[in-house]
Amino acid sequence: MTTTESITTTLEEGPDEVTLNTAAIRARPLRKRRRSKIRTPLAGRIAKWLVLAVVAVVMLVPLYVMIISAFKPQADILQNPLGFSPDSFTLEYLMNAVTSEKFNVIGAYGITLLFVLLVNVFCILLSAPAAYVIARGRRKWHMALLLVFVSGLFIPGQVTLIPVVFVLRMLGLIGTIPGFVLFETALTLPITIFLFTAYLRSVPRDIDEAAALDGAGKIRAFWSCIFPIMKPVVATIVVLNSISVWNDFVNPQVILGPSSGIYTVTTGVYAAVGQYATDYTTVFPTLLLAVTPAIIFFIVMQRYIIGGLVAGATKG
Amino acid sequence: MTDTSRALITWKRRLPGLLMTGPAVLVFVAMFVVPMILAFVLSLTDWNGYGLDFGFVGFENYFDAFSSPRALDAAIFTAVLAVVGTVLCNALGLGLAALISGSGAINSVARTVFFYPYIISALVIGFLWSALLAPQGVVNNLVAQVGMDPIPFLTDPTFAKCAVIFTVVWSHFGFNMILYIAGLKSVPAEYYEAATVDGAGRAAQFRNITFPMLAPVVTVNLVLSLVGFLKVYDVVLSLTAGGPAASTQTIVFQILSESFINGKLGFGAAQSVILLVVTAVLGLAVTLSRRGAEKKVAE
Repeated sequence: MTTTESITTTLEEGPDEVTLNTAAIRARPLRKRRRSKIRTPLAGRIAKWLVLAVVAVVMLVPLYVMIISAFKPQADILQNPLGFSPDSFTLEYLMNAVTSEKFNVIGAYGITLLFVLLVNVFCILLSAPAAYVIARGRRKWHMALLLVFVSGLFIPGQVTLIPVVFVLRMLGLIGTIPGFVLFETALTLPITIFLFTAYLRSVPRDIDEAAALDGAGKIRAFWSCIFPIMKPVVATIVVLNSISVWNDFVNPQVILGPSSGIYTVTTGVYAAVGQYATDYTTVFPTLLLAVTPAIIFFIVMQRYIIGGLVAGATKG
Repeated sequence: MTDTSRALITWKRRLPGLLMTGPAVLVFVAMFVVPMILAFVLSLTDWNGYGLDFGFVGFENYFDAFSSPRALDAAIFTAVLAVVGTVLCNALGLGLAALISGSGAINSVARTVFFYPYIISALVIGFLWSALLAPQGVVNNLVAQVGMDPIPFLTDPTFAKCAVIFTVVWSHFGFNMILYIAGLKSVPAEYYEAATVDGAGRAAQFRNITFPMLAPVVTVNLVLSLVGFLKVYDVVLSLTAGGPAASTQTIVFQILSESFINGKLGFGAAQSVILLVVTAVLGLAVTLSRRGAEKKVAE
């Protein structure tokens, strides 16, 4: 499959669909009529919409229940799970969740965002130059290096977690932010170096040569001439990293541990909800708070997220 | 030119390359290679996680992993979850992709609606579905209002297993769907035009053009689902906490609970090594077995 082509089409599709102008709407019946020559029986179309409607309901009802239940008292959640009446509407439980001592939501947003930022910065600082050397290298060890990094794709992070704890303990980094960021950054290396290398191979060597003629060293040439060209693939990686770091639960839970007092959004949710799973006035507001930033990020970045995932998956 | 000066020049030429790859290699070795070797070493000991009190036990942990009923149950459930999850996610993903791959506002809204759970942390999704499926949860409240007996979604082992699989599929098929849509878009339109001229119907077109052309995407989806579902953990922890009666424990769930709660790190390490090997072998096997199907596309 011509991956890049399909990614760009997937990417490009987005805005066209959102900004449907009147001309496009007027043009649509024409296209439909032409297509219907391949005959779409009415029954088939009804079946299609029925399937889509049923799946959409199954997908959306949990989200709907979570949102409305965050503003209802326990009795109302139990007796009237799908309904929503203004009489019982209350911000009390949401405020409780925001100010909960068990899980400092605002603090968790901050710390998780910090982790996302640090992992992205270190991942790019480490991967981009390495990928450049690999992409430009013609020797066997360049290829071997790439294979070693890429083999990391087949190693589930959870599997190495136990010995990683051991290594971090020896380095004196267990339970610390540097230790966590170090491991999380390492997890991003395989896919990042793979994508960066694939991208850099498509960047003409002329640029390197021009930079060399101007007297720039290899490192300088990379950061000032090549790296700025890498924007699209860097954006892809930033999206992939951000999602995985934001959603990660096992690694912060094990490496940072409850004793460190450092809570990410996920470990905070676990601490706040884990034992009180039947107190829905705690569960739903906490979940809502945890989900909101992710959903907003998704809505704003939708085309980049989807494009990034497609690029990451089909090349990886 | 003397040997030393020549060596110096070679080094000067190589230095930038080393500086640029060195840090990444160092981090990779420290956080991937060393831990992998350590995992194997630890799997041969009865280390409890504290101090340096290692006892060499040979391959005992591996025998335990294959003979202890709990470990076996976890392995079987993980295998079922991975296979059923992979099949359902790909069937749903491909089916829905075929329905909504076109342009148009409704298709794009549908794509968003089916995909969004992928962006939410698996832990949160587990908690959400647990709140919906619990004995006192939303679904059972509705069931009670209709006058039926409550359904033991999370309290009966079989129902709980189904609930875990359902939740995994619910949150994940959208991702497969997006990849299939990207694949569908890469099929040249001329193929369909030619087929239409030849009088082939929709079904024939799907069978003879679309599906074969999708072969590479199918491979990617199968490998990613299979490898991904073998390490399901977060959802299980928040949805069922491994229960009832340990019926929904996955391998990773066992690895982490055995290691960090029961202090059997050697045993956990052995299970990790087994999972690592199984993952790598399955990933490779699927990739290789799909070669034939993919070759046809290239032709």
